[in-house]
Amino acid sequence: MQEGSAVRARARLSHTTRIVISAATLGALVATTAACAGGGSSSTQDSTLTMANAAGLGFDLADQQPGWFEQYLQPVYDSLFRISPDGDIGANIATEWEYDDALTALTIDLRTDVKFTDGESLDAEAVKANIEHTRTGASTTASQLQVVEDVEVVDSDTVVLHLIAPDPSLLPNLGMTAGMLASPAAIEAGGLKTTPVGSGPYTLDSSATTEGSQYTYVRNADYWNPDDYPYERVVVKVLTDNNAILNALRTGQVDAGPLGSAKDAKTAEGAGLHVLNYPNGDLEAVYFYDKNGTIAPALADVRVRQAINYALDRDAIVKAGYGDLATPTAQMFAITEDDGIFDPALNDVYPYDPEKARELLAEAGYPDGFDVVMPDWSGYAPEVNAAINQNLADIGIRITLDTLPVEQMYGNTLQGGYAMGWQPYEDNRPWDLIQFQIKPDAPWNPFHYEDPQVTALIGEIQAASGEEQTALFRELNEYLVEIAWAAPINATVFNYATSDDVEATPQAFAKRPPLYNFRPAD
Amino acid sequence: MTWFFARRIGEAAVLVLAVTLLTFTLMSMTSDTVARSIVGQTASAEVVAQKQAELGLDQPLIERFVQWLGGAVRGDFGSSWFTNESVGALLFAKVPVTLSLVLATVLVAAVVSVVFGVIAAIRRGGWIDRILQVVALAGFAFPSFVIALLLVLVFAVQLGWFPAIGFVPLTESPQLWLASITLPVAALAIQVVAATSQQIRGSMVDVLESDYIRTLRSRGVSPVGLYLKHALRSAAPPALTVLGLQSIALIGGTVIIEKVFGMLGLGTAIVGASSQGDLPIVMGVVSVMVLIIVAINLLLDLAYAWLNPKVRVA
Repeated sequence: MQEGSAVRARARLSHTTRIVISAATLGALVATTAACAGGGSSSTQDSTLTMANAAGLGFDLADQQPGWFEQYLQPVYDSLFRISPDGDIGANIATEWEYDDALTALTIDLRTDVKFTDGESLDAEAVKANIEHTRTGASTTASQLQVVEDVEVVDSDTVVLHLIAPDPSLLPNLGMTAGMLASPAAIEAGGLKTTPVGSGPYTLDSSATTEGSQYTYVRNADYWNPDDYPYERVVVKVLTDNNAILNALRTGQVDAGPLGSAKDAKTAEGAGLHVLNYPNGDLEAVYFYDKNGTIAPALADVRVRQAINYALDRDAIVKAGYGDLATPTAQMFAITEDDGIFDPALNDVYPYDPEKARELLAEAGYPDGFDVVMPDWSGYAPEVNAAINQNLADIGIRITLDTLPVEQMYGNTLQGGYAMGWQPYEDNRPWDLIQFQIKPDAPWNPFHYEDPQVTALIGEIQAASGEEQTALFRELNEYLVEIAWAAPINATVFNYATSDDVEATPQAFAKRPPLYNFRPAD
Repeated sequence: MTWFFARRIGEAAVLVLAVTLLTFTLMSMTSDTVARSIVGQTASAEVVAQKQAELGLDQPLIERFVQWLGGAVRGDFGSSWFTNESVGALLFAKVPVTLSLVLATVLVAAVVSVVFGVIAAIRRGGWIDRILQVVALAGFAFPSFVIALLLVLVFAVQLGWFPAIGFVPLTESPQLWLASITLPVAALAIQVVAATSQQIRGSMVDVLESDYIRTLRSRGVSPVGLYLKHALRSAAPPALTVLGLQSIALIGGTVIIEKVFGMLGLGTAIVGASSQGDLPIVMGVVSVMVLIIVAINLLLDLAYAWLNPKVRVA
């Protein structure tokens, strides 16, 4: 018996020992592997710029949506114009340009020394082929070109764009996706969705590219303007999770990438990364879709809309949601302070005053408030929405929240499902905002509300240019505040981080810094 | 055995057809807002209508499904409505990510669970057993993404031993592949170990108390043979069931881990695509997932048969 247990003990011991040995071996293997993996991070020493971004829209220019995904396109495609960090229009493929007096014919002179990487010339015919191709798509980029009636080829380096009506946003649009140029032969061949052929500073290296997860671009040795692109290689990694991006930045696996929140921006700064903080062109507001009072009669009364403006404690809402990384505003055109349109005084029109708000509601015949259904955006901006809903409840507005996935809330809003609701709206330039949410037929004016004075001002703006146009925009901005078109809260601010080795400059109205604004840091 | 396989494949075909049809129908119920999301917030109503026609959303559901099925059986899953990338290429890139994670997790979890479960059962009440109880409880209590975030902070950000994000295919570099999946597999395995090792411990304890083990022991069978050959074999089937269920859950359940580690596998693909309404991707991923699940079940059946001859009659 005793002998038996001794045998058992020995067997057990050797069994345990074996486990220990196996575990140790496995540990050693993993440690070796880890040591090898540690050195594999990207850096600018080998002149590679690695950026993180959400998944793009492929490479066919007819499918694009400006703002988010240019970093995938800028390596391979040149744009007609180059937009400066302040949003001014400059030369690129276009060397000179001029509108006629009616603002419906835009003459553009082109560079004569540019070739696509398949050997085709970038000339007037190529510009015509691109505009005609891009405008056939079903995309925001395509819709920006619907205003072009005809492209006239004057000679090999001159085109005239004949427009249906003046479009104050056309030039800036041609500095983004709508003005990008692909090889006409490649457009003809039809493979652009996955294989780009352009005249840009880089070409897509398909051997080092995994569709949907990593795109690698290598220098185009024949590029006409290499000085603006200091990197030998550009890599864009598809990363969607904020934590993954932050960790990739901290370990040097990417050199640059967007940050998810004000909190992430603080963490990134703490980890020694550079953080850019810039308005991205979006406006967050409580929008009054039903100003006709079709489903919520209260909103037809300007006093009710003004009451809601008074009810919102913008400073507190913004502080709760974004700390000091966003600025409250009460006006629709809220992007840049020095554009001649923004007026600081308008932000004082509706100070936080719930007492005044209740008075106005009572005057309008709603002393006990009213009921309204609003889309529930708490998944996207929880603190902001909680604060707004509390402010509205404080003056007696009884909110029922409709919780749906974001895409469906968009759909419902567009179909006139909500009388009002908070929303981050892609504001872009003042003219775009008019197109997309103020004109009676604008998609984000789902109840087709029309105010004669607004319509008259829009007509004048379209026919004007320069200083005169700016003054008219300013007038419209002031009037929209007066009639409480919406209850703006803040311009959305984006945070973007780069490593110590990389310096990036944001561009007004662009969601991501463009590739030509990236440099190795000194 | 041939008949067994033929029947299984027949069942699998019916299952795939049913699941894909159901998925297609469900996806189509919410597809009226897809065109709007594709063309962007600022596009006009005409552009949206144009996109809808382009995607064939104006055609009847059943016609669209038959069209999809026709392509799918020829291996053509179409291309993403949003990014235009081919779904075939996407699956080709993402299946290895998910399979690496799932298979490595199952393997690690199985080995660790057996080792810990068996030792804990033999030394019931001993320190290994007590540690195992605590670890199992903790494994259940902490969501795997919390563990994942901790692992990244310590081993990638602070120590720099492993990459924080990204997946390296096995074919590109076995070493970098192993490094890229170590942290995610560790994070995933903890929960599987928690469940499976407890199961093994429990059934081992039962088996070790049974009469035939006492008989074998009294006949002087060596303890190693007794535990591993006799007891574990009887205790394994319930553990195998747990492990099988866990691995099926892992196929879609790796999504949070995939996100934390920036390695885009099937889970991320289907979650992203279904919330966007990207039907071609959802359909492609669902088809592949069903096939993988069918394969896992088949493997489980074979394993049961190997462990227990009584099952082989089927």
